[in-house]
Amino acid sequence: MSLARPARCLFCSFSRIAPSSTRVSRRQFHPTPAPLVNRKPKFPNIKAELKPDEFQHFTEEEKAQLAKEYSPAQMAAIEAGEKAIDPKDLADQARSRDDPMKFKYMDDFSVVEPGIDRHIRAPKENSEYNTKFRTEDDFVEDFGRFFANMPDNASGADFMRFAESLRVTEGKESSELDPHSALVPDLFGPGETISEPRTEERKSAAEKGEKERSLQAEEMTEGLKRLLLATGYTERQIMDLRTKTLVSHHVVNQTRLGKVRRHYRLSIAGNGNGLLGIGEAKSEESSDAKTQSRYRAIRNMQPISRYENRTIFGDVKGKSGAVEVQLMHRPPGFGLRVQYLIYEMCRAAGISDLSARLGRSRNQMNTVKAAYQALMGQRDPEEIARARGKKLVDVRKVYYAGKV
Amino acid sequence: MSLVNLAHVCSHLNNATKARLGITSIPNSKMHLNLCLALQHSGYLSSVVRGGPIPPPPHPILGYPAMNDEIEGVEPITQANVASRRLWLGLKYWDNKPVLGKLSMISKPKRRIVLDVENLRQVIRGHKASYVDGLRSPGENIFLSTDRGILESRECVEKRLGGLLLCRVL
Repeated sequence: MSLARPARCLFCSFSRIAPSSTRVSRRQFHPTPAPLVNRKPKFPNIKAELKPDEFQHFTEEEKAQLAKEYSPAQMAAIEAGEKAIDPKDLADQARSRDDPMKFKYMDDFSVVEPGIDRHIRAPKENSEYNTKFRTEDDFVEDFGRFFANMPDNASGADFMRFAESLRVTEGKESSELDPHSALVPDLFGPGETISEPRTEERKSAAEKGEKERSLQAEEMTEGLKRLLLATGYTERQIMDLRTKTLVSHHVVNQTRLGKVRRHYRLSIAGNGNGLLGIGEAKSEESSDAKTQSRYRAIRNMQPISRYENRTIFGDVKGKSGAVEVQLMHRPPGFGLRVQYLIYEMCRAAGISDLSARLGRSRNQMNTVKAAYQALMGQRDPEEIARARGKKLVDVRKVYYAGKV
Repeated sequence: MSLVNLAHVCSHLNNATKARLGITSIPNSKMHLNLCLALQHSGYLSSVVRGGPIPPPPHPILGYPAMNDEIEGVEPITQANVASRRLWLGLKYWDNKPVLGKLSMISKPKRRIVLDVENLRQVIRGHKASYVDGLRSPGENIFLSTDRGILESRECVEKRLGGLLLCRVL
């Protein structure tokens, strides 16, 4: 804002509604000529207007068709629904909103969204500002009434019931039990974090009652059976794991009969939530080597400690052959600014903020191995504290009840 | 204040922990003693005892030499024996790994590094300040020589003290 602008104008700007686009471009020295007037569309915006006739009741024929599919009770429900909703309302409302106050995202508002809808506060009417504590005489009276009306075979439960119903204040009951609070609402429910989805979304398809996806893609082989037996996972869980083949090349064995070429594959597997494993395999067939390395990676999956489920604890180093990897923890939102092999490993393990440096050599196989070694070599602060007999506190967890 | 001797102590302790020794000795000096006491205060060492050329007898209950051993006692320092005194340090291990992981010098005999509180505050928050790398790993410490003795870096910031950076422990 220019200093030359008079103060009157400055104050006006607070009350004036900002125009949707500037009349004169601010980039006055730009080579592209600025349009002097607001651009208008060449054609008027044609909206799909819905009319009440498009929402007609079912005809008798259609109802006969429907009756084949639905039970009489369901048919009754359909008819009741038709009767209840006016076609005019449907024409008005059965479409996405286009008014300026519309929501910028799609949501059916059937689930409570943490951070937006969470913490339904008690209404202000619940509170009564002139509440008074009850006097001692009132309590004595209450106890007297309880003892007078006490049944002959009174038990402890009777007294508990009485004690729970005992009020401390006079006046509105809701004012004592469920008062209105001006405190900041909780952003997250118990067990919820930004990265962890809502409990609704965390449910698998089977729990939601959806149809199981067909497992035709991977038929049951002997190797897969053995993998299921060894790991205890179901086929579904194995399919949901993130596996990726990172390194593939040939290896040659020189014998007196000549060179024997075989395919080498190195795969990683992770569940995206702290488990990561690497597996390598060699075979005459590349597809065999790939499958075998995948299964080995799944069998080798081990937990990797993650700080706040997004980055690592401290800076760690790993070495394999001539590759020296240095992994560095980073603040939230930093992202994975790492080399592609380590990127894939982080994705599989569920690490989202990390940076890495590769010293000396950059051999692919050794990079993966060194990065895995580094990830496994993290030191747990709890263990450090126990080893040194000291109390270590993560000061980040002190604020916001440790939920950030 | 010889940083050469301190460098020797650092590498000796590194070698001793790699060899999984339970007790080791370093030359006796006031700075070594104060640094060892600071290390013990931070939980890196189990005991610090000033003894002679042979290791002091272990405490009957603790199992390692202790300064407050009433049965065996610690030989008092006299002018006659001061030259033969050594510091006997009890090393700690946890989970098959040494607690005193890696000692490395920050100041060198030829280049001493002194930090004020502002820079030290940056260092303990994990940022690099005046050629000193930040403390970026859990349990990492820097020990400083200040005018109130040898202190840990976080303690220095708490007390608003700067000083000469001696060594880093990881």
